[in-house]
Amino acid sequence: MAKKYSTLDKIEVDLKDNVYRGIVMPNSDSKTLFLKLESGYNLGILSKNIKKIKLIKKVSKNKTQSSHKIKHNNNLPLISILHTGGTIASKVDYNTGGVISRFEPEELIGMFPELEKIANIESIFISNIFSENLRFRDYKKLADAIEKEIKKGVKGIIIGHGTDTLHYTSAALSFMFDHLPIPIILVGSQRSSDRGSSDAALNLINAAYFIANTPFKGVGICMHKNIEDDSCLILPPLKTRKLHTSRRDAFKVVNSNPIAEVNYSKNKFIMFSKSENEQGTWKVKAKFEEKVGILKVYPNLNSKQIESFKGYKGLIIEGTGLGHISTDNSPENKKIFNTLKKLSKNCVIVMTSQCLFGRVNLNVYSTGRDLLKIGIIPGEDMLPETAYIKLAWLLGNYKKQEVRQMISKNLKGEINKRLDLEFL
Amino acid sequence: MINYKELGFKAGLEIHQQIEGRKLFCHCPALVNDENIPNIKFKRKLRAIAGETGEIDQAAKFEMSKDKEITYEACSSSSCLVEYDEEPPHELNKEALEIALQISLLMKCKIVDSIQFMRKTVVDGSNVSGFQRTALVGTDGFIETSKGKVKIETVCLEEEAAKKIKEENNSITYRLDRLGVGLIEIATHPDIKDAEHAKEVASIIGMILRSTGKVKRGIGSIRQDVNISIKGHSRVEIKGFQDLRNIPKTIENEIHRQNKTKDELPHVRKANPDFTTEYLRPMPGSSRMYPETDINVIEITKEFIDSIKLPELISEKTMSIKEKYNINDNLARELIKMGIDFESFVNEFPKIKPDFIANVLVEMKKDIQTRNKKEVTMQMIQNALSYYNEGKIGKDAVYEVLVDFVLKGDTDLSKYKQIDESEIEKYIKEFISKNKALTFGALMGEIMNKYKGKIDGKKASELLKKYLKP
Repeated sequence: MAKKYSTLDKIEVDLKDNVYRGIVMPNSDSKTLFLKLESGYNLGILSKNIKKIKLIKKVSKNKTQSSHKIKHNNNLPLISILHTGGTIASKVDYNTGGVISRFEPEELIGMFPELEKIANIESIFISNIFSENLRFRDYKKLADAIEKEIKKGVKGIIIGHGTDTLHYTSAALSFMFDHLPIPIILVGSQRSSDRGSSDAALNLINAAYFIANTPFKGVGICMHKNIEDDSCLILPPLKTRKLHTSRRDAFKVVNSNPIAEVNYSKNKFIMFSKSENEQGTWKVKAKFEEKVGILKVYPNLNSKQIESFKGYKGLIIEGTGLGHISTDNSPENKKIFNTLKKLSKNCVIVMTSQCLFGRVNLNVYSTGRDLLKIGIIPGEDMLPETAYIKLAWLLGNYKKQEVRQMISKNLKGEINKRLDLEFL
Repeated sequence: MINYKELGFKAGLEIHQQIEGRKLFCHCPALVNDENIPNIKFKRKLRAIAGETGEIDQAAKFEMSKDKEITYEACSSSSCLVEYDEEPPHELNKEALEIALQISLLMKCKIVDSIQFMRKTVVDGSNVSGFQRTALVGTDGFIETSKGKVKIETVCLEEEAAKKIKEENNSITYRLDRLGVGLIEIATHPDIKDAEHAKEVASIIGMILRSTGKVKRGIGSIRQDVNISIKGHSRVEIKGFQDLRNIPKTIENEIHRQNKTKDELPHVRKANPDFTTEYLRPMPGSSRMYPETDINVIEITKEFIDSIKLPELISEKTMSIKEKYNINDNLARELIKMGIDFESFVNEFPKIKPDFIANVLVEMKKDIQTRNKKEVTMQMIQNALSYYNEGKIGKDAVYEVLVDFVLKGDTDLSKYKQIDESEIEKYIKEFISKNKALTFGALMGEIMNKYKGKIDGKKASELLKKYLKP
């Protein structure tokens, strides 16, 4: 049967013993036709069961125009929202269920009307990708866009970002920029914004509120403090990790403290720590070394896995406990040690811990001392992800000898020499 | 008398029935009333979201205008991250789907080829996510009633909402034990002829639902919403009937009310226990549903449908045991209601008359339970009946044995041992000769007392009559 209809057309489908009327859904394929009935329900009909299809009405091009007109308010600061992708600032196409992104300021204000009272909003599209698909070149692209906005003289920048690798991007931005003159807040969302319960609005509004009112300069992450729609935390970009697959408060500070707590509806925010705010003109170094990897240690590890990093300039080991990898005298583990030893001649190897919380210490057990002997550098209390971004950035911008010195030195707050009792 | 035809009366029903088992999209038990004290509490706000046309849903807007703070209370025994909207839904509970298919097939519905769960916007806070997950399973069925066929438009499988606990000015509290419990929604065509017919249709649908044996029972487990309209007036939905029996009177009152008022916008009303109704909220708009992308489309193959076993309807079962075993209507209905497989009892105790078995299972059980305030278990009944079936005790001893079981946990069979007729005969003869002045009743009393449980009353009376003859 020749197809007489297209997606979103209204049709009547004649089956053997009943008739359905509805709108053709885009997830239809040659096997199953999906219809949206007048009741709003979608259902699938097997093509082989269809006797006849009658076209009722061709789809009319739906002109969705936002009725919202934004007025510039001279009393409010200017905030730029850069969109990189993810669920924040995306909308569901209620016809198809697919996610469409909304990047026009009018659309944003339409979705989050509170923003209009906080700042004048600029909205800039950078990319629309899931954060697990980001590459180093995307960091560069983002840095370029930020530069442009800083030069424009904005009060601050909000970056809408997928949550999966948000903490890698926050680390990358922290290392790339020196002496940032403005706050740059990364915002994600764990619940899609099609639903009334989405966390997107609170995160975005609180981020804007923080930027508009803070003296803070530097990078931060703004996400729910807990599972309530109340406060958000501004989290440190180098000491934060996604620790839950789905909760609103998935992002937790590791080995440090939040920067601030923000509550727009109660009109307050509390600063917990000051920004470094060293004097100096801001500059950007956006190069990253591509040949850097992460290796996780686990029982029965095979030395072949380490061999696969041959030719790499840098390697982060996510060791067990205080920072260990299987290196005793058993033939398999001996091979691991020898492979590591060989690799470390041309590759900067840094030990971190899969415990995440706490500091590595290679002096407590002899296994650790052996690792030190072959040149493995203890990564202090750095998160493995942060250490990875730091190492790639260092190798992209400095000589190897410098890198070996800098990796275990605190540059931007990624290393905390004094750990307190804070733990989950 | 209301002339329904003249009024242009149109009515359809929407029935919601909770199902047993686990919740629809997580692994929590389908508890609707968790007895535990809530150990989890959190606050949320819901935002109105523009629909597909860019317009905020009418019903959603109404709720948002109230700008409420929502508090959720939960017990970890009956809810998890899925209910808190902190985790995506798990895979659909397959058993619930099978129940929905059973019900659809019992109502002669066409089953859709592919089921797609939808998100139905709900902004009153009763769904933590801001939407209810719902799917169309069957369409275009019918049921037979005394006033002809009533078409079943749709059978849907959906999530139950949270329970409202408290509502104050700007805050509302829900409890989450019930959220996510499977719900079957059945919508009839406006084929209902009059107020009384609405009750009949509701009760037939209820009977079909209970026939599966897998739906919840008790207060709140089934809810009937009635949609009615009369000429010159918009459609009104009445929700919240406490009892099926309230339907006809409430409909009549609503008709009277509408006749006295001007046409209003279509809206939802609440049924009050005094058969009146009150305004609840505007009718939800139609642009409130879009696909639930976290749940895969479920293909319903012919093989799957063929594998679904259909239960015998309660109405048919009642008829069949009533006729087959010649027991009265009431007993038959009670047996079915209690979910007893009567046939297997009859087969197990071939020497006992079916109507006596039915009596023990229903009346005797009830009687002993009320008198002693203790439960008579099926095992006790089984044991007592098998003693009788094997001739270890007489018919009258069944009651006594059950009482022993209930009070002492055991019985002494020797107490009820059937004694030789000749021995009793001898005693009766002697007793009568010594007490000639006693009436038949007094004699009977004395004998039954002496041989309690050991002789059948009928037998004793026969013997007495034999020797009382001059």
